[in-house]
Amino acid sequence: MELTPALEAPLTGERPRLDREQECLVGSRCDACGATSWPARAICNRCGSAALAEQPFSHLGSLLTYTQVWVPRPGLEPPFTLGQVEFDDGPLVFTHVRNLPEGSRVPLPVQIVLGEEGAVPAFWVEPHARAGEEGGS
Amino acid sequence: MSDRTQPFVSGVGMHPFGRHPDASLKDLARVAIVGALGDAGIGVKDVDAVYSANAMAGILQGQEQIRGQSVLRDVGIDRVPVVNVENACAGGSTALREATLAVRAGAAETVLVCGFEKMFVGDRDLTLSALESAADIEIVGGLGLQFTAIYAMRLRKQLDQGLLELDDLIEVTVKSHRNASLNPYAQFRKAMSAEEVRDGRPIAEPLTLPMCSSICDGAAAAIVSREPTRTDRPAIRVRAAALASGFARDGDEPSIATACATRAYEEAGVGPADIDVAEVHDAMAPGELLYYEQLGFCEPGGASELLHSGATAIGGRIAVNPSGGLCSRGHATGATGLAQISELTWQLRGEAGERQSGRPRLALAQNSGGWVEGESAACNVIVLEREAAWN
Repeated sequence: MELTPALEAPLTGERPRLDREQECLVGSRCDACGATSWPARAICNRCGSAALAEQPFSHLGSLLTYTQVWVPRPGLEPPFTLGQVEFDDGPLVFTHVRNLPEGSRVPLPVQIVLGEEGAVPAFWVEPHARAGEEGGS
Repeated sequence: MSDRTQPFVSGVGMHPFGRHPDASLKDLARVAIVGALGDAGIGVKDVDAVYSANAMAGILQGQEQIRGQSVLRDVGIDRVPVVNVENACAGGSTALREATLAVRAGAAETVLVCGFEKMFVGDRDLTLSALESAADIEIVGGLGLQFTAIYAMRLRKQLDQGLLELDDLIEVTVKSHRNASLNPYAQFRKAMSAEEVRDGRPIAEPLTLPMCSSICDGAAAAIVSREPTRTDRPAIRVRAAALASGFARDGDEPSIATACATRAYEEAGVGPADIDVAEVHDAMAPGELLYYEQLGFCEPGGASELLHSGATAIGGRIAVNPSGGLCSRGHATGATGLAQISELTWQLRGEAGERQSGRPRLALAQNSGGWVEGESAACNVIVLEREAAWN
């Protein structure tokens, strides 16, 4: 397995994580097996290949689970909602969730929303009503 | 048939878990270490290697390096190899596994394994930040993602699929507190009613405060040796120790806990139905229900039924968390894996007092730590066996 491309991978701090134009996350996809990752990796966790390409991901995904948190943390006033999202083309990401109706059941279609430059959190997801599907509750 | 190279747990000891503002890391560790040495009937000069676990003293006490050597100084242990182990909340069991390998490799005869943690430092945000560093902070830093939220999300999936009900979460928490009320080493020694659990302060919905482990101080220790150090009581052998690290699961691939348990059962030549007593990593009491399934104690979807059958209560077919578990016995992170080993050793010897669950022969400990990709970052499943028959 040719690993030298991993030596040429961008420094982790220089790998893009978001694409503001397309409004989506950016990570990596393995040319050999198709495994996706966010943030990008230098070597594929699934097959060990170093042939990874930068990959913008779908702005749509599925909220697999969530919780409303009541413990304050610096900069975060409770309650706030955290969730686990699987974007349509692969990556599994923990994120803040906003505008989720009370009593929502999972899985639930969501879309990504990017905050202003430098905002914390940098992005979150919100419910998204897809054609032919019911969003919200 | 046991493998003759598998070592013994010849002694265990604990410092009670809880809030101990006047006790330093050294004081906590000293009580557990002296307890384990005394239990094994040996002295400090009989120890020829040490594996020492701690998760957060770097951030919380500023002792980033040589945590083991600095704590061992007070009890007169020097010269011998000391390996400092950090694996988040799974450090204690990881240290035990490494000690087991050292003995099997012939590198040591009598190993001290210790774990200690002091999380009450008068600055709750600092402790929560230290806990949040059990993940890749470049990915999740600033999200406010605590273990409580991780467990809450794992449980919601089961609730929304109709596999668990809120009442199951409450009942297993009542069991946890009831068991801990019988444990002199436990942080929370008061039984709680279903109403008290349900009406507790919300932490991360559906979890309430009584369902969650707390910040905790404590220490635990074990002696791992090639031969039993005492012949006047049943020997406890380490039949398996399977450690793995987190990974991105492919589709319906089994969890890391299932992967470790499968390997541990194989190594020990037993199955989940052979286990008589278990201590599982219930950082939130309802997490116990998830592990019933992941460790093979029930079929998928059978956790609620197993709980309600009473099989996992003290005296049941497979008592789970007779100590009260992480939630109620307490979760002094680096010490937790060894608190599990202490409890199981007492159970196998018949020395667990009011918590004694029948006459167990095989015991299982599952200890997890941190998380990556939505999975535990580290997981260890250990199987212990009492070799002698019960009289």
